[in-house]
Amino acid sequence: MIDRVGVSSRRLGGYERVTGQQQYVGDIRLEDMLHVKLVHLDCGRARIRSIDTAAAAAVYGVRCILTSADLPQPVPRFGPVYEDRPILAVGETKYHGQPVAAVAAESKEAAEAAIELVHVDFEELPGVYTVAAALDPASPLVQEPELRPHDPLNRTNVLRERHYGWGKVDAARADLIVENVYSFPMVTHFAIEPHGFIAAPEEDGIAVWSATQNPFQMQRIIASVLKLPISRVRVIAPDPGGAFGGKQHPKYEPLVAVLALRTGRPVRLVLTLEETFQEVRRTSCEMRVRTGFNRDGTIAFQDIESNFLMGAYADIAERVIAKSNYLACGPYRVPNARITVRALLSHTAPSTAFRGFGTPQVAWAHESQMDDAARRLGIDRVEIRLRNLARKGEAFVPDDTPADGDWPESVRKAAAAIGWGTPLAPGHGRGLAVAIKASATIGASYAIVRLHWDGSATVLTGTSDMGQGARTVLAQIAANELGILVESVRVVMGDTAAVPFDLQTSASRSTVFMGQAVLRACQDIRSQLGASETSLDDLLQSRFGMVRGEVIGVGSMRREYLPEHPLGETASFYEFSCTASEVAVDQETGEILLVRHVTVADVGKAINPQHVEGQDEGAAVMGLGHTLMEHLILDERGRIRNLGALDYRIPTSKDLPLEMSSLLVENADGPGPYGAKGAGEGGLMPTAPAIASAVTEATGVVIRELPLTPERVWQEIQRHKNGNPSEDAER
Amino acid sequence: MHPFAYARPATLSAALALLDEHGAGARVLAGGTDLVVELRNRAIRPRIVIDIKRVAELPPSIGETGDRLRISATAVMADIESDARVRAHFPALVEAASTVGSIQIRNRATLAGNICHASPAADTAPALLVYSAEVNLASVRGTRRLPLAEFFLGPGKTALKPGELVRSIDLPLVNERHGAAFARLTRRRGVDLATINLCCRVDADGRTHFAYGAVGPRPFLVADDSGLLADPKASDATRDEGLLRLLTQASPISDVRGSREYRRAMLLVMSRRALRTSIERLSAVRDFPPSAGRG
Amino acid sequence: MGGGVIHLTVNGSEHALEMPASTTLLDLLRDRLHLTGSKECCEVGECGACTVLVDDRSVNSCLMLAVEADGNAVTTIEGLAKHGHLNRLQDAFLATGAVQCGFCIPGQVMAAQYLLQRNPHPTLLEIKEALSGNLCRCGGYEQICDAVLSASLTDG
Repeated sequence: MIDRVGVSSRRLGGYERVTGQQQYVGDIRLEDMLHVKLVHLDCGRARIRSIDTAAAAAVYGVRCILTSADLPQPVPRFGPVYEDRPILAVGETKYHGQPVAAVAAESKEAAEAAIELVHVDFEELPGVYTVAAALDPASPLVQEPELRPHDPLNRTNVLRERHYGWGKVDAARADLIVENVYSFPMVTHFAIEPHGFIAAPEEDGIAVWSATQNPFQMQRIIASVLKLPISRVRVIAPDPGGAFGGKQHPKYEPLVAVLALRTGRPVRLVLTLEETFQEVRRTSCEMRVRTGFNRDGTIAFQDIESNFLMGAYADIAERVIAKSNYLACGPYRVPNARITVRALLSHTAPSTAFRGFGTPQVAWAHESQMDDAARRLGIDRVEIRLRNLARKGEAFVPDDTPADGDWPESVRKAAAAIGWGTPLAPGHGRGLAVAIKASATIGASYAIVRLHWDGSATVLTGTSDMGQGARTVLAQIAANELGILVESVRVVMGDTAAVPFDLQTSASRSTVFMGQAVLRACQDIRSQLGASETSLDDLLQSRFGMVRGEVIGVGSMRREYLPEHPLGETASFYEFSCTASEVAVDQETGEILLVRHVTVADVGKAINPQHVEGQDEGAAVMGLGHTLMEHLILDERGRIRNLGALDYRIPTSKDLPLEMSSLLVENADGPGPYGAKGAGEGGLMPTAPAIASAVTEATGVVIRELPLTPERVWQEIQRHKNGNPSEDAER
Repeated sequence: MHPFAYARPATLSAALALLDEHGAGARVLAGGTDLVVELRNRAIRPRIVIDIKRVAELPPSIGETGDRLRISATAVMADIESDARVRAHFPALVEAASTVGSIQIRNRATLAGNICHASPAADTAPALLVYSAEVNLASVRGTRRLPLAEFFLGPGKTALKPGELVRSIDLPLVNERHGAAFARLTRRRGVDLATINLCCRVDADGRTHFAYGAVGPRPFLVADDSGLLADPKASDATRDEGLLRLLTQASPISDVRGSREYRRAMLLVMSRRALRTSIERLSAVRDFPPSAGRG
Repeated sequence: MGGGVIHLTVNGSEHALEMPASTTLLDLLRDRLHLTGSKECCEVGECGACTVLVDDRSVNSCLMLAVEADGNAVTTIEGLAKHGHLNRLQDAFLATGAVQCGFCIPGQVMAAQYLLQRNPHPTLLEIKEALSGNLCRCGGYEQICDAVLSASLTDG
């Protein structure tokens, strides 16, 4: 029996991608399709006084123009948790780029001409764009209080305040207290595929095409907005051209659905790259962290105040903030902890899920603290982590899922790979950091596997393959369980009319949740066929004979909601990762040269090792982005100044470290098939603190803001030279 | 984009006539890598775009004309970078041109287009300035030649009169030993617009030239005749003093790519490095004039 | 004046087409000829997702007006495989795991095709330089460059 897992099978869908045949949502052409363009204002927050669409409507080819006045009143609002986002801006734009009108026309050119002719009379208003402004009681409110009438915080810009903790922080003794403030900038996903949305009336309902990671959630929300039963809403989800969390939740699907029903025609809206930047970003933050350490470097307490800045609508950001800050102490033994977390609204692009889900931000803080303490106590930075890391089986958060991996093993592996402790060339430095993320808590994934009479199989699954290779991995699992070739398996995804329910593709959950569902579906098939020494062909032949048929197996994995748990359920598993970095810094210019970069992922079992390596390296490169070069720059009027690819820089092939390696730890200790855990976010999460720590060793300066642009590094070096002891690392 | 008419004249006189007829309502199209972006962003709304790539008198050529190398208006960066005579005589221009965008951009972008766009950060400008480039302009009223230093007037503004286009750019074939180096600072190692850029040239007689970009409304050229900068044995303090004197003309601003303070500091750092490299290259030059064919 | 009829060859097939002057070559390929393999992303010549070959040179098709391509021979990603057989670059991309979401891949392959046409045996550094105009957000640069290197070592 040849193993189909643990091998690097060729990517399903790869052939279509290298030949240009793969159909992304922007490639789909429907007959009689109208083209949609959006009208938005060149300012942050503004009161809309009036919108004159007469001149635009007169453009040849324009079929429909919608403003919020043309929608059902009150204007329907939607969102994955908070239903706060209107289909179009109502009375006020709340972020730079929020559309006030939409035009549908026979051609792209007509739509583009028409949007230029929509006259909006507006008055710019002062807005909230920073953490300080969001906390200031004198600031304007981002959200109307009527939207959360029973919330005592409804006259503030705090959407939610949470408290986590255990032990007694104020009574805890410590030999050293390290207190710092860390900030994490606004960055955007910049998937190479801009967002696109299509809708078409279908029989007595609607069909929506969207490269969404969560087709079933989309189906539910559209049904709710349009007041249709779920069965009359079909969501077709083509494989995204990169998503990274930015394509999880609804944005303009409700708008195009309304346009399709109004016009009776298929409609398509494809955002420009600039519009895409205005729509999705990572939640930014300021974290004040006060950590008490014992002389031996072990943690005595953690006292954390997190202020996370969401956008104008909550999207899934409050969940991001809650989940990541729940583990703000990191993967360590912490006897006393107090974590106060605020989810703040602002007049900026709605922050949403983004690879890491808040963990890069908290890891930036807790890892920088560890390095600070190590320097002050004279303890090696790897050693201090080994002294604090929770060991396998230990409940590092009381009453919650214990540590489920040999975390010190990952750290030792990374340290060895980077050459920790070996002599460094002058001007070089090394750093190492870890991160911990709770994967999916609640969840529901269903899979159907159809074993055809010739021994080939079709897997029906609601998972989204956005590049992480879910299609291939699920095919490998099915092939392995059924004892057939991977090439004989077809995986059907992305159509709510064809595949069974999946909660979402996120949180590195699919190998575990959907993988188990597929595995169980195959086990169901095997038990229907009966355990036997007979070959599969013979079994099918004897079962079906001349009449033929197929064996249908169903499998699922669910984790239910626990109201008493702060996150609604314990973590199904943890994604633990370690990054080690070696850099050289040009102290005269502040430029950082990445000499070596190592990532270690604790994956349980790599079902497709090549895919995991691609994900880890890719995640590391994405992490280099926010570490070295990415940040959305807002002006004082809340407008993003660096929209588009010319001034928002992401890593290119020339920005890679000179040497990169992605290593795996496989101890088969995960809840997924063959002991697998999830992967794909780990390579990103500890990137910033690892590199910053290396920069500190190379230069003596400590930097607590990102990105580490040449100019920022240079500024800190100048400050260090001019004598500013509170910012310096003790050598 | 707003709709516009498109013409692809076959002769220079036809092109110039069209340009004269439409004045400010016309735009010249060569490589298009700046123009098409401006059209897409609706930053410009011409009535007509005049494509000069099929004009018989403007083939994409690089050729010797007397004592100068003449680069035509339609010659693309990729060909300029790889031309043996450019590599032999104007190596700093090769360094500069190879930083303009990606290979896809350089397969279309022209040198003429780069200078006509007149971004203060145009990467080829500092190199062209230290090599004393001259611009040949043509209109229905005739031709004229301008030193490049007089061609740049401000951000996006050149000395082109209505109805004029750039026909070619001339680089005097230098009859003196020299060493030159181009340098730039960017936010990432990959393709990027320059935070600052500069070019240095040191002549055998000790004359030192610097040209700077992205630190003022236009790229500018300054020279030091004292011979102190060119002296490899000069002290760091003397050298810095000389450089700072040259840099008084720089007026960097703060923008998304960098702050004024950082740019100012980097001007000195990068000038020192470019000077050092230029001096090294000067001392390495044995064979003069250089023979093309050794690229 | 105006657009007029242009004649161009795309993947070996001749076309006579008329379009507004403001149509980009990318628009022509995707919307008129339904060759959607070349992708639209940044529209300013920074991401390379629209890379095609025009008279054997790699260009960003979003920065070319379609009318400029009169008389040119254009090759897109759809023109590489012959009768369903992948060329050595396409095959190498699959073998090294360079393909993740795939959106940047047509542009990467075309840029690599241009490189190998000019420089049949590039170093890794030359490959990184040659593909620096093609962004990949999945971050697969290492495997993409390995694919190009591997393809350059294959005959054919």
